[in-house]
Amino acid sequence: MLLTRLASSTVHRLFIVASKPNPHLLHQGAALQIPPKTARTMSTTSESSSSSSFKEAFGNYADYLNNLNEKRERVVKASRDITMNSKKVIFQVHRISKYNRDEVLDKAEKDLAAVTKQYMVKLVKELQGTDFWKLRRAYSPGVQEYVEAATFCKFCRTGTLLHLDEINATLLPLSEPSIEPLQINVLDYLLGLADLTGELMRLAIGRISDGELEYAKKICQFVRDIYRELTLIVPYIDDGSDMKIKMDTMLQSVVKIENACFSVHVRGSEYMPLGSSEPSSFLLGVSDVEL
Amino acid sequence: MKSAFRNAYLFTVSLSRSLNPNTNPYLNLSSFSHKLPLLSTTTYLSPPLLISRHRKVPGRSFSTTLSMSGGADSPSPSLDKQFEEFRSKLEESGSLREKIRAVVLEIESTTRLMHSGLLLVHQSRPVPEVLEKAKAQIGVLQGFYNRLAEITRECPGQYYRYHGDWKSETQTVVSLLTFMHWLETGNLLMHSEAEEKLGLNSLEFGLDIEDYLIGVCFMSNEMPRYVVNQVTSGDYDCPRKVLKFLTDLHAAFRMLNLRNDFLRKKFDGMKYDLRRVEEVYYDVKIRGLTGTGDSKDANQGVVEGEDYDVKIVG
Repeated sequence: MLLTRLASSTVHRLFIVASKPNPHLLHQGAALQIPPKTARTMSTTSESSSSSSFKEAFGNYADYLNNLNEKRERVVKASRDITMNSKKVIFQVHRISKYNRDEVLDKAEKDLAAVTKQYMVKLVKELQGTDFWKLRRAYSPGVQEYVEAATFCKFCRTGTLLHLDEINATLLPLSEPSIEPLQINVLDYLLGLADLTGELMRLAIGRISDGELEYAKKICQFVRDIYRELTLIVPYIDDGSDMKIKMDTMLQSVVKIENACFSVHVRGSEYMPLGSSEPSSFLLGVSDVEL
Repeated sequence: MKSAFRNAYLFTVSLSRSLNPNTNPYLNLSSFSHKLPLLSTTTYLSPPLLISRHRKVPGRSFSTTLSMSGGADSPSPSLDKQFEEFRSKLEESGSLREKIRAVVLEIESTTRLMHSGLLLVHQSRPVPEVLEKAKAQIGVLQGFYNRLAEITRECPGQYYRYHGDWKSETQTVVSLLTFMHWLETGNLLMHSEAEEKLGLNSLEFGLDIEDYLIGVCFMSNEMPRYVVNQVTSGDYDCPRKVLKFLTDLHAAFRMLNLRNDFLRKKFDGMKYDLRRVEEVYYDVKIRGLTGTGDSKDANQGVVEGEDYDVKIVG
C-alpha cells in the first residue's frame, strides 16, 4: 500500500517538475516516460493520421475564433466611441435655454450627424449577416446611447418622437446599396427610448428652474405617453430584465417631473408670471423649487 | 385620418432589417409584403433627415420655445401606431421563441435518454449494444433540429437572436455524439461530421463552433471515469488509448486562442481530466497489468511483455 502511495506522489512530482523519469521508480530504466508537461506541439505525439487531422480541423476552429474575437473587439470599440460621442450630443442639448435654442440644437444635430458618419458607419461592415445578432451584446450599449441622443434632439426640435423607421432612414446612406444597410433593431430602439426619459426628466427640471413651465409640462406629457406605450410592450421584449429595470427608473422620472410641475403649480401665486415673454419672469423672492 | 403616404422602399428596408438581415432588401421587395401582413398599413415619412414633418398634434398651443404647436392631451396617433407595430412584431418573436423552447425541451429529454443509456458503458456493458440504443435517438434529434430550422426559417438571419435558447442543450448533444463516436472508432468527431449527424447545415441552421468545442470539453469530462471503470473490469489497454486520445485532444485545443469565457473554463477543466487519465495509465503500467504492447507505444518508450515482471510488495 505504501508503495502505491509513494508511486502516486512520485507521479505527482513528475507532473509538477516535468523532468525525466524519476530513477526511484520501480521500473527498470526509463521504461515509463510520462509525457512532459511542457508546451507540447502536435509533433511530439505520434504522427498518426488522427492527430494531423485534429491539427487541420483545430487550425480552422482557431481561425474562426480569432476572427470572431477580433471582430468583436472592433465592434466593442466602435460601440464605445458611439457612446462617448452620443453623450456629448446629449450634453450639448442640455445647454439649451430660452434664448439659444436654435444654435444649441443646430450644433447638436451637426454633432449627431458626425457621430453617424464617423462611428455608426463602422458598424455597417462588421454587422453583416448573422453577426448582427451574434454580436449584439457588443454594440447594443452604443446604439442605445445613439438612439437616446437622436430622439432627444428630435424632441427638443419638434416636440415629437423620432420613430425607428426615421432613424433607420438616416442610416441608409452609410452603406453602398449593394450591401445590407445597418438598421437598428426594435429592442435597441426601445432600450434607448427608455434612457431618453431620464434625460428628459433632467431637461424638465432644468426648464422649470429657468421658468419654462409650459415646456416642462410638455415634457411631462411626452414622458407619460412613452411610459404608457412601453408598459404594453415590455412583456414581449427578449430578455426583458434590462427593460423592466428601466421601466422602474422611467416611472421615477415621470413622478419627478410631475412633482416638479405640481410644486410650481401650487406655488403659482407666489411666482412671477411664467411662460410669458418677460425675460425677468423668474422666481422672485421665492426659495428654490423643491423637487 | 391616415396619411396615405407609404414608401415601400423604406418600409421594406427598415422592417426587413429587423427581421431579415441576411437578405438584400433591395432585391426582395416583392417577397416582403406577404411575409409581413400585419404591417401593411404602416405610414411614415420618407425624408432621410432627423427633422421630418409629422402630422400636427391637436392640443393647446405650446410655449414659444417650440416651433411646432401641440401639447397634446392624448398621445399622437403616430406614436400609437409605431408602438402598436412594435407590439405585434415582438409578439411574433415571442411566440417564435416559445415554439423554439418547446422543441428544445424535447431535445433535452431525448439527450437525457441517450445519456442514461450511455452510462451503461461505465458498467462495462458491451459497447456496440449500448451504442445501438443511443444511435436510435440520433434520428429523433435530427427531427427536432429540423423543426428548429423550420421555425427559424421564418426569420432568416436571426439564428443568434434565439441561439441562447438551444445553446446548452446543443452542447450536451455534441458531448454525447462525440463520446459515442469515440467509443465506436476511437476518433474525435469533427465539427462538420457532427453537423452532418444532426442533419444541420451551416448555411441555414448550423452548429455553432463554440457550442461544438464546449461539447467536446464535456465529453472529455467523461473520460477519467470511463477509464477507471474499464480498468476495474479488466480492460487494461483502455488507459493507453484514452491517454493518447486525450493528449492529442488537449494539444489540439491548445492551438486555440480563447477569451476568458465559458469555453476557456471548460478547456481548463480538460487538463485535469488528462492528468487523471495519466495517473490511471501510470498505475496500470507500473503494475504490469497491460498486456503485450504494440508498436504504437514506441514513442512512449514502454517496455512491456512477458519478460517484464515487477512484483509490488503491498
